[in-house]
Amino acid sequence: MTGRKVIMNFPVTATSHSLADYRARGGYQTLAKVLREMRPEQVTKEVVASGILGHGGAAFPAGRKWGVIKLNDEQPHYLCANADEGEPGTFKDRWILENAPHLLLESMLISAYALQVHHAFVYIRGEFDLPYRRLAAAVEEAYDGGYFGKALVGSDFACDIVIYRGAGSYVCGEASALITSIEGKKGYPRNRPPRLTVRGLYQRPTVINNVETLANVTAIVAQGGQAFRQIGTAKSPGTQLVSISGHVQRPGVYELEYGTPLAAFIEEDCGGVLGGGQLKCIVPGGISTKVLTAAEITTVTYDHASLTAAGSGVGSGGMVVIAEGTCMVRLLQILLRFYHHESCGQCTPCREGMGWMHRIIDRIVAGQGRPEDIEQLARISRANDGTTICGMGDAAGYATLGILAKYRDEFEYFIQHRRSKFDGRLEVEGPEAAHA
Amino acid sequence: MPEFFINGKAVQAEDNQTVMQAATAHGHYIPYFCWHPELSVPGNCRICMVEVAAEGQAEGEGWLDIACNMPVTKGLRVYTDSAKVRARRKETLQFVTLNHPVDCGICDKAGECKLQDYHYAYNGSPSNSIDAKVHATKHHDLSSRVVLDNERCILCTRCVRFTSEVSKSHALGVQDRGDHSLIRAVGDGAFESDAYSDNVIDLCPVGALLSKATLHQTRVWYLKPTPSVCPGCERGCSIYIWHRKSEWRLQALDARRNARIDRVTPLENPAVNGPWICNKGRDLAQIFERARAAQAMLKGRPVDLQQAIAAAQALIAMARRPVTLVSSWASNEELAAFAQALGPRMRCFVKPDCQAAPGEVLQDGLLIRPDKNPNTTGARAHFDALPQDPRSAFAADTDLVLVWGEGYSFAQLPPQARIVVLNSYLQPENGHADVFLPISVQTERSGHYTNFQGVSSAFSACFPKPPGVADAQGLFEALGAMTLKVLA
Repeated sequence: MTGRKVIMNFPVTATSHSLADYRARGGYQTLAKVLREMRPEQVTKEVVASGILGHGGAAFPAGRKWGVIKLNDEQPHYLCANADEGEPGTFKDRWILENAPHLLLESMLISAYALQVHHAFVYIRGEFDLPYRRLAAAVEEAYDGGYFGKALVGSDFACDIVIYRGAGSYVCGEASALITSIEGKKGYPRNRPPRLTVRGLYQRPTVINNVETLANVTAIVAQGGQAFRQIGTAKSPGTQLVSISGHVQRPGVYELEYGTPLAAFIEEDCGGVLGGGQLKCIVPGGISTKVLTAAEITTVTYDHASLTAAGSGVGSGGMVVIAEGTCMVRLLQILLRFYHHESCGQCTPCREGMGWMHRIIDRIVAGQGRPEDIEQLARISRANDGTTICGMGDAAGYATLGILAKYRDEFEYFIQHRRSKFDGRLEVEGPEAAHA
Repeated sequence: MPEFFINGKAVQAEDNQTVMQAATAHGHYIPYFCWHPELSVPGNCRICMVEVAAEGQAEGEGWLDIACNMPVTKGLRVYTDSAKVRARRKETLQFVTLNHPVDCGICDKAGECKLQDYHYAYNGSPSNSIDAKVHATKHHDLSSRVVLDNERCILCTRCVRFTSEVSKSHALGVQDRGDHSLIRAVGDGAFESDAYSDNVIDLCPVGALLSKATLHQTRVWYLKPTPSVCPGCERGCSIYIWHRKSEWRLQALDARRNARIDRVTPLENPAVNGPWICNKGRDLAQIFERARAAQAMLKGRPVDLQQAIAAAQALIAMARRPVTLVSSWASNEELAAFAQALGPRMRCFVKPDCQAAPGEVLQDGLLIRPDKNPNTTGARAHFDALPQDPRSAFAADTDLVLVWGEGYSFAQLPPQARIVVLNSYLQPENGHADVFLPISVQTERSGHYTNFQGVSSAFSACFPKPPGVADAQGLFEALGAMTLKVLA
């Protein structure tokens, strides 16, 4: 019941990621058509018309980002695919890199043509092994097939691509930190203004899009922006790759057409909660989005408007299912440990605030909590909202405030009784254990 | 020239200015740690948050953003002291002081520390945290001159940006991340050899970077800054010489500490040195606090100063072909007095008093100049330079040489000539002169130097001159008057 497919529309086999199989599926024909028949502005026009929103987490309209680039400003432009998929709970871009690397490359070439980019980059998460090997092999195949380099596919357009492997920093998934990292510097986010589309990589106009956003470009251009708009809802056109994990029967990557009922997706497509348990809450789009309780998602459909109305967001498409019986204090401890570990340390509120929150939650879990600690956590979260250079400070704050608001009683219980309201575990017994 | 509004007052900004620049230029104070007018804008301390109100919004309804990275746009309305801004500053200072040890009692920066000032001005409440602070290195030697206290460091990266943007040594960086980030020097000794490294001590808004030379020596409020000019090279950087205030004179301890250069800092002067000076300028004590000559002598025999002046006057009056080697460390006032009193009667040459020390930076693109004397330009306005071969300065019948200042070997003087020496420091040659007159040093008198660009800068006296020592200016006036009297 997940709706129409744009990306996961072919059976995955042992060779489905290869150039031969991709060509057999009609691959690189859109690129040839674009280079033959379309002007760069026309391509951008189709992407604007499609109304596609960024799939990396911020849901910024991709077409609007592209529209900032001036084609004839006599300076190099850069395009970068953000494959530094580090948001906890998210592993959807990995699916594209592993199973459809040529779809990404073709889409990047079309995008490069639209933006008149001659040097494209893929910034891939350092921990990704198979995705990197698949992508590197695909780039090699594509060069051999004449899709990169000079005079590609017989046109006078030239484009090269470089794969840049990250070194394991979460913050490098933030666009400006990502380009700082490509430049060989410490992965610190930059202040805006200037926007990256004005002064980005090597101080030149740069477009950075999420892997999945870019992967959609081929389909958008092939069928036209207006036709693409027919998929999904009016305000959220297209589909979203959702990586679902946690206490769920069938975890994995699913392609969801926007507008799909959320509860039904979890119950029917993913088989419901692990071991037949009760659903407590879900993290809808990576841990930086606010949790939604089981009661809150009954009427929610999977699209930006509906999730925002419910008080959360689509985020990065990394859904985590949390079963009844899970200790939210322990869960928040793990989140805050992550944010503390990943704060780059550049700006004051996040550098100090993440460690501070981590120390407080550690103390609560150790049975040394004070009643005022809950308000203290909320206060630090609010002090991080909108005061930091990048969005990481805000994200940690949203996650914390979301959990504190909805499960305050568990924190009060923990502080008062010096132990979890539940058995303090995050693990829920799977079906095997339940049957035993 | 966009016009915008700070706290309701119209401000004319320059094109491409940020709110911080325009506000600072027009006397509106916005607090800052990481921002510096001469460095790039990292926007990392977040203390300069101001409220921006959109069209139709009143004060208190706007949003907060940092002033240092906010371009001025026409009609922008900014509030620097709204309730929202004050609350945000308080929160930010809670973060800044969270892991700061607040050990002001043993910190050299206390009294001139931005964090201390802002805490009193904008926060004032104790930490909200009951958890242990993050501990880090308390004493890390970045070089033989600069010590780093990582616990006090607020990671504003001013020092890192200074070494990469101004001194260009790229010697400092941030190691690790999050609240365990550390400022560290690169391993190749670039910071040790950075001729401007001590500027990071002034740049540090807190007491994280401190001078090893002055570590725990004194509190800054016991010191008085006297504006002066660095004599280390012909750049003539404007400096402050910090020395003990007379009302805080030490009675019991070593009295020499009352007349000691405690430290030297730059005095911002856009025409000459901007806000920087080099490390040599920090070490002026090594120049001025050498053993002083305080005793007038006739051929090594100690005599009264007046007696020595009379003897010098007699020699000058008798001399038919006298030559003077003029000091390039003399002030413009001294040079004028000399030129008026004795100049017409003598052949005069400007000599370099100091040569570059072995290993010293000769010249660079920032401040350091090859001539290591402060007032060669001022002296050359009156007299010629000493020729390449100094012996050609002397005629066969030169019968008197007046050597003013140091840096000249008696071996090069004509053997028949009588010698009058004016010097400040104890040197073996002094006793061989026919007349030796001790004179004051720069820190004991006021005057002007003219640097190589022709910019004159003033220096003021820091200490009284020792008894038995003459000021060159008065000395020349006395010599000139006496000589005139004899001739008459």
